[in-house]
Amino acid sequence: MDFLVNSLPTILNATTLSAAPLLLVALGELFSERAGLVNIGLEGIMAVGAFVAFAVGKMTGNLWLGVCAAVIAGIAINMIYAFCTVTLCVDQVVVGMAINILAPALALFGYNMFVGANSANATGVVMERLSIPGLSQIPYIGGPLFNQQLLGYLAFLLVPVVTYFFKRFRSGLSFRSVGENPQAAETLGINVIRIKLVACVLCGALAGMGGAFLSVCMTPIYIDGIVMGRGFIALATVIFGRWSAVGIMAASLLFGFFDGLNVALQAQFNAAPVMFFKMIPYIFTIFALIFFGSRHAGPKANGQPYYRESR
Amino acid sequence: MSKSTSSENSREKMLMTLTPIVSVLLALIVGAIIIACLGKSPLQGYGAMIQGSLGSAAKIGKTLERSCPLIFTGLTAVFAYKCGVFNLGGEGQFIMGGCATATVILGMGLDGPVATLCGLTAGIVVGGLWGLLPGILKITRGLNEMITTIMLNYIAMYFMEHVFKNLYSDNGLPKTLALPNAARLASLGDMHAGVILALLLGAFLWYVIFRTSFGFKIRAVGMNPIASQVSGFPVKRLVLLAFVISGAIAGMGGSVELLGKTPYRLAGGFGSGFGFDGVAIALIAQLNPLAAMAVAVLFGILNTGGTMMQSVIGVPTAIVDIIRGLIIIFAVAGMAIVKLPKVIAFFNVRGTRHDKAQSAPDKKEEVTA
Amino acid sequence: MEELLRMEGIDKRFGSFYANRNVNLSIMKGEVHTLLGENGAGKSTLMNCLIGLYTPSAGKFFMRGEEVRIDSPRDAVERGIGMVHQHFMLVEDMTGLENIILGDKRHSTPLLRQEDDRKTIEGLMQRYGLEVDLDERVADMSIGMQQRVEILKVLFRGADLLILDEPTAVLTDLEVQGLFDIMRSLTDEGKSIIFISHKMREVMHISDRVTVLRRGECIDTLEIAKTTEQELADLMIGQKFEESVYAKVNATDEPMLQLTNVSYHPEVKHGGLKDVSLTLHKGEILGVAGIDGNGQAALASLVTGLLSPESGEVCGPDGKSIALFSPQAFIDAGFGNIPEDRNKMGLVGDMTIAENLVLKQTDSERFSAGHGAWLKMDAIRDFAERLREENDIRCTSVSQTARSLSGGNQQKVILARELESHPKLLVAVYPTRGLDIGATSFVHDQIVAQRDAGCSVLLVSADFDEVLKLSDRIVVLFEGQIMGTYPGANPPIKEISLAMAGK
Repeated sequence: MDFLVNSLPTILNATTLSAAPLLLVALGELFSERAGLVNIGLEGIMAVGAFVAFAVGKMTGNLWLGVCAAVIAGIAINMIYAFCTVTLCVDQVVVGMAINILAPALALFGYNMFVGANSANATGVVMERLSIPGLSQIPYIGGPLFNQQLLGYLAFLLVPVVTYFFKRFRSGLSFRSVGENPQAAETLGINVIRIKLVACVLCGALAGMGGAFLSVCMTPIYIDGIVMGRGFIALATVIFGRWSAVGIMAASLLFGFFDGLNVALQAQFNAAPVMFFKMIPYIFTIFALIFFGSRHAGPKANGQPYYRESR
Repeated sequence: MSKSTSSENSREKMLMTLTPIVSVLLALIVGAIIIACLGKSPLQGYGAMIQGSLGSAAKIGKTLERSCPLIFTGLTAVFAYKCGVFNLGGEGQFIMGGCATATVILGMGLDGPVATLCGLTAGIVVGGLWGLLPGILKITRGLNEMITTIMLNYIAMYFMEHVFKNLYSDNGLPKTLALPNAARLASLGDMHAGVILALLLGAFLWYVIFRTSFGFKIRAVGMNPIASQVSGFPVKRLVLLAFVISGAIAGMGGSVELLGKTPYRLAGGFGSGFGFDGVAIALIAQLNPLAAMAVAVLFGILNTGGTMMQSVIGVPTAIVDIIRGLIIIFAVAGMAIVKLPKVIAFFNVRGTRHDKAQSAPDKKEEVTA
Repeated sequence: MEELLRMEGIDKRFGSFYANRNVNLSIMKGEVHTLLGENGAGKSTLMNCLIGLYTPSAGKFFMRGEEVRIDSPRDAVERGIGMVHQHFMLVEDMTGLENIILGDKRHSTPLLRQEDDRKTIEGLMQRYGLEVDLDERVADMSIGMQQRVEILKVLFRGADLLILDEPTAVLTDLEVQGLFDIMRSLTDEGKSIIFISHKMREVMHISDRVTVLRRGECIDTLEIAKTTEQELADLMIGQKFEESVYAKVNATDEPMLQLTNVSYHPEVKHGGLKDVSLTLHKGEILGVAGIDGNGQAALASLVTGLLSPESGEVCGPDGKSIALFSPQAFIDAGFGNIPEDRNKMGLVGDMTIAENLVLKQTDSERFSAGHGAWLKMDAIRDFAERLREENDIRCTSVSQTARSLSGGNQQKVILARELESHPKLLVAVYPTRGLDIGATSFVHDQIVAQRDAGCSVLLVSADFDEVLKLSDRIVVLFEGQIMGTYPGANPPIKEISLAMAGK
C-alpha cells in the first residue's frame, strides 16, 4: 500500500504519457472501423511514423515538422491499405499484415541510411512539456493532466472533437452508416468509397502521429521495434472502448495506468525479475478483453469488403 | 462452351501460381532500383547475394539453417489459416518452445539423446499449450486471436528474458548456458538435422491437409464454419486443434533452433521476427505447405545473401526486409487482381438473383492482357 | 392522365447475359403500377437501374417528358425517385429519425438539425398515416414499423415515385391491409407507386395497371380492370403452365419424428419457438407453412441438431427421446438435410464440387482408408462423376469450385449429396428459394420421389404454393407457435392463410 501511495505520482505521470499515443492511434482506428475497415496494420504505420518524425525532427531541428512528416508518411503508407482493401477488395486482415511487414522494414532501412555510421544522428530531443499555470499544481492529477507535451494535449482534445463529429455532424452520421450498412448508405446517395478513403487518410494520419509520439515525446530516439505491440493494443482499445471516443480514452488511460504501474514497479524493485513487470500491460490487455471486450460486436459491416457494380 | 470454360479454369490456376513468382521478380526489380539510387550496382549486389547464400556447399547449408525456423513458422501460419485461425503468435510459440527445451535440458541436467528427445517433446508440448491459450479465449469468450496472440508474443519474450537472465544465466551474462554437446541435433554435412525434420514436417502437413479426412475438415471449417457445423463437424474442437497444432509446430521450431543452431543458447533476439515472417511466407505460398517451404528457403537466401550484399557493395541489409515486404504486398494485391473479374461476375449474378451460370470472359481478357 | 416516368429500350447486361432487354415502361401520375414477374424475371435489376445502383447497358429514362440521366442513387433522389427495398436498407444501430435524415442535404450546414427535421417528418407521418417511433432503434422495431421508416425515408426526400419491392412478403395480413391504406393515401396525394409482387391476389386488389416481365423482357402492360388473374399468370409464366400435381398420400400412424412441447427462446416473436408439438409420420411430407421469420429457422435447426431446445422433447422413430441431437447424430442416424441457405449452410463454396459431394462422408470406408487417414481420391472422383451424371449437375468439371455454379446447380449438388443414401428422414428448408422454374420442379420431383420411396419429409417453406403442392399434411407456424394442422389433400386454403396471419 505504501508503495502505491509513494509511487502514485510516477504512475500517474506515466499513465498519460503512455495513454496518449495509444489514444491517437486508436482514434484513427475508430474512424477506420466506423467506415467498416479493420486495419491491423497500425503497428507498421506507427513504426514509419516514429522513424519519420525522428529523422525529420532531427534534420530540421523542428519537432513539429517531424510530426507533420510522420502524418504524411502515415497517410502514404495507409494508401497502400486503402488501395488494396477498397479498390481491390483484398481481405483486410491480410493487407494489414502485409503492411506490418513492409512498413517497419522501410523504417529500418531509412534509419540505417539516416544514422548509418554517424552515431551523432542517433539521438534527438524530446518535445518540451507545456505546463498550464495553476492547474498543473493540483496534487496527483495536475502533473499528468496539465503538464504534458503539446501532442499529448492534442490527443486528449481530439476526444470531444471526435465524439461531437460522430454525434452531431451530418458527415459523422454518414460515416457511421458506412460501417453499419454500406448498401443502405449507397442508396441514400452517400459516397461509400469516398468515405472509406477519407477514413483511411484519417487513420493513417493519426497512426502516423501516434508513432511520432513515441520518438518525439516519449524517447528521443528511434530503434527498430519501438512500437512494441502498441498498434495491436490500440486495436484492443477500440474493442474495449466499445467504438466510442470516450470509451477509447478510458481504455487508453487504463492501459496507461498499468504501463505506469510497470514503470513504478521497475523503479521500486529493481532487484526483482523486472521482466514480469514488463508483462503487465500485455496481460492487462488480454484480461481487459476477457472481461469487457468480446460480445459487443461493433459496426456490423466491419471487415467486410464492399463490392459495387462496375460502371 | 465447356471447353473454353475449362481452359479458363486452368488459366486462372496458372495465374494464381504465377502471381507469387511475378511478385518476387517485381520486388527484386524495385530492390534493384533502390540499390541503383544509392549509387551501387544492383547486378553486383544480387551477384553477391547469390554468392553469399548459394556459393558453396557450406553456404547452402547455412542458408538452409537460416530457412529452417522460417519453415516452421511458415507452416504454423499455413496450418492455422487453413482452419480460419489467424494465429499471429508464431513468434511467442516459437520462443516458448525454445524456453521449454532449455528448461528441460538445463534445469533437469539431462544429456545425450534423451535430452534431445525430451527437449524436443517439451518444446512441442509447450508451443502447443501457448497456442491453446488464445484458442480457448477465442472459443469461450470470442476474443480476436490476432490481438491475444500478439500480446502472448510479448509475454513470451519477457518470459524468455527471465529464463536467460535469471534462471539459467551463463555467469550473469544475458544468455543461457550452452546446451551440452551430446544433446544437440546431429550435424549433416553443413547443416543440422533439424532442416530435414522441417522438410519432412512440411511434406507431412501437406499430406494431412490435402489427403486425410481430418485435413479435409480443417479446410472446410476454414472456408465455411457454418456449413461445417451443419455437416456435423466438431467445429470448435477443430478450431482448437488448429490452434494447438500450429502452436506445436512453432514450438518444435523453437526447440529445433535451439538444439540445432550455434550458439545453442537462448539470448535476446531469439526468434525475433520469425512469427511475422511466417505469416508472410504462408500468404505468399497461398497456404500450401510445400510452397511455403520454398518461400521460406527464398527468405533464407535473402537473409544470408543480404549480409554478403552489405559487405560487398555496402547497402544496409534492411533492403532485404523491404524486398520481403514488397513481395508480400505484390503477392496479396496480385492475387486479388487475378480474382477480380470473377468476384465481379459472382456479385453481378448474386445482385440479379438470377440462376444463370456467370461468364465473364471479356473481363478476364483485360486482366491477362 | 399525366405521364411521370417513361423508360425506353432499357438493356442491362452482365457479361453476355441479359438481365433486362429492351424494356419499355410508362408510369402515370397517381397510379399504382405493378411489375409482375417470377423470381429472376428482371424486376429488381430494372428497378436498380432506375434508382442508379446499376447503370443500364442501353436505353433512356424520361421524367415528365424530359430525358434524364440517372448515374447514381443521388441522381435518382434528385429526380424524386425512391425505393423501399425488399431487404430493408436501414442502419439497425441508429434510431428511426437518424435513418430518415441520413445522407440528406437539405440544410447547408455541416451540423445535423434533427429537431427541424423531426417536425417535417412528423408532418409527413400525419399526412399519410404512417406511425413510427422516431427515437426507437431500428433493430428494436417491428418489421412493419421498419417498413414505414423506409417509406418515410423516401417521402422525406420528396419522392414522387415510390418503388415498393415485394413489400408484403414479410408482413402479416393485417399489416398488408395497413400498407395498402398507406399506398392509397399516397396515390390520392398524386404520388406514383411501382409495386413489385408475384402475389396475384394482392396485385388484383391494389393495382391500377400491371406490366408483366418475363426473362428480362417486357411482355405487356394491362389495365387491371380489363384482365384476370388467369391471364396475368399465363403472361407471367409464358406457355400455359401445366402444374404436375403430385399425388397426396395418407400416411401411416407410425411416427418418424415427434416434437413435444418444444420451446426455444419463446420470448422472441420473430425467430423463437413456443410450445411446439408436431408429429411427422413415416412416408409423408409434412409441410410447415408460415410467413418468413416466424420460427421456421429455429424449428429446422432444432430438428437437425444445430440447436438444443430449452424445454420439451424431441423423439425419434423408436419413440425414444433424443437427448442431445447434434448435427453429427442427425447425420449418423441416416437423415438428410437441405438447409435454408445453400451458400452459407449447405456448401463450402471454395471447395470443389467433388469435395462438397463427399462432405459428410470423408471418414467412411468408402472414401478413405484407415478411418480418414488416407482419402481415396479416385473413389471420390468416380462418385462425384456418377452423381453429376445422375443429377444433371451442369459443370465443366467436378474439380470446379461449388461457388462457381449457378444456384440451381448448387442445389442439385446438395440434393445429390443428401439423397444419395436414401435417407429415412429429410428436412428441407426453403428448398427452392431463388431457383428458376426448371430447377424448382427438379427439386420438387426429387422430394416427392423420396417420399414415394418411404422417406419422411419435413418441408419448411415460406412459399405457400410450394407447401400446398407438395404436402400430405400441413401445419402453420405463427410467431413460434403451431396454429393448426390441416390435410394436404383439398386443403382449406382460406383457413390456412388466416392461421398464417395469426387468426
